Amino acid sequence: MNFLTIFARNLRQGPQTEAFPLGPAFTPERLRGRIEFNADHCEGCRICERVCPANAIRFAKTPDGMTFDCWHNTCVFCGNCEFYCPTDAIHQTNDWDLSHVNADKFEMVEHGLIPNQKCAECGATALNTAPVLKNAKPPLSDAEYAELRARCPKCRAKYLKNRKVPA
Amino acid sequence: MGLIPDFKKIATRSPWLYRINAGSCNGCDVEMATTALIPRYDVERLGCQYCGSPKHADIVLISGPLTVRVKDAVLRMFDEIPEPKVTVAVGVCPISGGIFRESYAVLAPIDQYIPIDVNVPGCPPRPQAIIAGVAKAIEIWRERL
Amino acid sequence: MSNQIAILLAVLLFPGGVFALALGLALKGVDRRVAARLQSRVGPPLMQPFFDIVKLGFKRTMVPAAANETVFLYTPLIGVVSMLIAAALVPITSVYAPDAAIGNLLVLLYLLMIPGIVLMIAGSASGSPYGAIGFSREMALMIAYEGPLVLIAAAVAIRTGMGMGGWATFSLNDIVAYQQTHGAFLFDPVMWPAVAAFCFFYPANLGIVPFDIPEAETEVLEGPIIEYSGPVLALFKLMSAVKKVVVLGLGIALFFPLAPANLVGGLLVWLIKMAVLMLIGITVVRLSTGRMRIDQAFVFFLKWPLLLAVASLAVVVVV
Repeated sequence: MNFLTIFARNLRQGPQTEAFPLGPAFTPERLRGRIEFNADHCEGCRICERVCPANAIRFAKTPDGMTFDCWHNTCVFCGNCEFYCPTDAIHQTNDWDLSHVNADKFEMVEHGLIPNQKCAECGATALNTAPVLKNAKPPLSDAEYAELRARCPKCRAKYLKNRKVPA
Repeated sequence: MGLIPDFKKIATRSPWLYRINAGSCNGCDVEMATTALIPRYDVERLGCQYCGSPKHADIVLISGPLTVRVKDAVLRMFDEIPEPKVTVAVGVCPISGGIFRESYAVLAPIDQYIPIDVNVPGCPPRPQAIIAGVAKAIEIWRERL
Repeated sequence: MSNQIAILLAVLLFPGGVFALALGLALKGVDRRVAARLQSRVGPPLMQPFFDIVKLGFKRTMVPAAANETVFLYTPLIGVVSMLIAAALVPITSVYAPDAAIGNLLVLLYLLMIPGIVLMIAGSASGSPYGAIGFSREMALMIAYEGPLVLIAAAVAIRTGMGMGGWATFSLNDIVAYQQTHGAFLFDPVMWPAVAAFCFFYPANLGIVPFDIPEAETEVLEGPIIEYSGPVLALFKLMSAVKKVVVLGLGIALFFPLAPANLVGGLLVWLIKMAVLMLIGITVVRLSTGRMRIDQAFVFFLKWPLLLAVASLAVVVVV
């Protein structure tokens, strides 16, 4: 006879149905949804490309710089790229409303570009990636960061070696 | 004669769903089952109903990359579904192969064999995402009826 | 001549025909909505079965290659027509009394067997193995539940007949009139076994869980109606909708047809009784049980419902 009490309770409480699609849906904050790429923070290490289980992330060297492409129609939303990225350049938003008509199949791409730049010291063409800062002690000031960013990788190493630590 | 468009509008309020599992891992199938059975994501509000026979279906939900083994059966079953029908590819597997894309046993993308209308990416997509995809499919079906 | 025209109108308009179709589909809509609310879901709009029928009119009917085409296409029509005629035989107190020539309980029982046979023939004419499984299961279930039904009808007929000073009367008008004067059979202790047996009989007849074994079952992919699509499938849905009206109306007429003497009151009370009977008997039962296997259901019917029906017949004859 338990089901009668359950029926009574259900009638009393009313329907528990979520309002979607006739109203907004509840989305948890840490839901693993569409990924977002921030080219400013990217180091260019390409770890995300290596750990992606579905090979959804591709980097390509072009005359303008290095392009980043993630095709969401083959991404499995696992979060590996976000987990392994050292600089938080790629992270998952909680955007899950990605349904589209089949004609737009190849438009579901997150595209990014790490542009080329001329090194401030030696003039070579290098990628404008975020510097690898893990071993810099004490932390860099903003001015030092800007100087470091404007250099090519070889000059960056030289700059860090010759850096005068303020007393 | 002014009655005929009215009947069409009435007819669009009852799309029946049919699921085809084309070699899926069942993750998307579980999510599709929850949209019908769990009170939280009721799909019957939109007039939808899961039907047991392909001959009764209007909107086809396909999940899974088309594996070599099941390809003939899926194509035969797809032909059994009467027109007009709308096909929804649920999950990333039918769209591109998903995580199984480079396998020798997988013939994705499925739209080289079956015409697909709506894609719902996700692995598996949230039940709300599936309902959003079904809502888009109902719009398309409305045009086709 | 006017007699036959009256019968024709009864079959086509009220209470058969348009009225029975509309009432059947409306009851189905209420059933789905209330079932959803009992499961704490929102549920489809109340007019949803009407939308379903209209939509089925727009799909195309596909006849399988292995099917017998004439049988495949025409049996559902026979089913719907038989149910419309049966609906013209159901008495509604103070509103409608079937013509004495056709308002016979035995005729109604014969007509009630036709939808089951239609399902069976449709299943086997489909040329599909799922249809064949549905055919055999429907046949087993019909054998199981027709026994108690006949015994219940005999018990009611004998009780009415003996009460009126004869032996047995199968005229539905007489049964209803007897209960107007002597009290409804629902409150008559002698008839309680019959009432109980009827409560077991009608879920199997109407194809409601726990006895919806032959049709609309995820195990056999909808059984006999698997190969049907389009308007012909709509005929099956209409047949089952009118069957609900007929069986519930029969239950009301056999066991508690009491109603106020005026037209509107009588109709209103009948509709309320239909709705209440459907909510308790169909919706709650459907939601709280699981489907039985065919062998379990067969053995079940051979035990309690048959025993209750035999007991009711014995009690009515002896007392």
